[in-house]
Amino acid sequence: MKAIELSPRPPVTIDCSDTVHQAAVVMAKTGVGALIVLDAGVPVGVVTDRDIVTRGVAHRHPADARIDGLMSMGLIALDVGDELEDVMHAFEHHAVRRLPVVDGSEVVGVVSLDDVITLLVNDLAHVSKVVAAQIMFPHANDEAAAPSRM
Amino acid sequence: MTRAAVGDELIVQGHSVGEPPRVGEVLEVRGDDGGPPFRVRWDETGRSTLLFPGADCVIKHLKPTAEQETSR
Repeated sequence: MKAIELSPRPPVTIDCSDTVHQAAVVMAKTGVGALIVLDAGVPVGVVTDRDIVTRGVAHRHPADARIDGLMSMGLIALDVGDELEDVMHAFEHHAVRRLPVVDGSEVVGVVSLDDVITLLVNDLAHVSKVVAAQIMFPHANDEAAAPSRM
Repeated sequence: MTRAAVGDELIVQGHSVGEPPRVGEVLEVRGDDGGPPFRVRWDETGRSTLLFPGADCVIKHLKPTAEQETSR
């Protein structure tokens, strides 16, 4: 499965010159807790609702200050064609909960750790059904397979 | 804007006491005019990811640029 297929929603972005208040409004309207911060269309960081609380409100940061004062810089990203293994590696070694998905230099999606866990749990549920069926009916395919068996 | 070239060494400083810097090699430059994102192979794992570097990132140009070559 490709990284872009793991991204359930389009990215929500904000410009680096926008204010903390504008970022909070975007989060409230979209229901998203992390925004990709762009400078002339190029990603330069990410800001979360937690950043606004712990770096902003807790330090009496003014609501009309620029959002790039609160963002985390140094953005690890995925290519649209990266495989699930690459995604897992990035989460494991870079201690992040969300990864933007990039096509060229444009952000086209976001994969969260929760998205990956949901996918894996669904796969696990599917596998457990197969195993349960084999335990319940262990010889269900024996007749069809009999001619080739020794 | 941070610029890099293929083969440059890239160092991301640790963010907490005792956290070692992450070092990698730039494998690919995707942005215009040498800009990000860069595909970086990390020394620690041998795996690569894309990176939009922040202010905590230092790039060491290990090969001379075209401008440096012509000025010699």
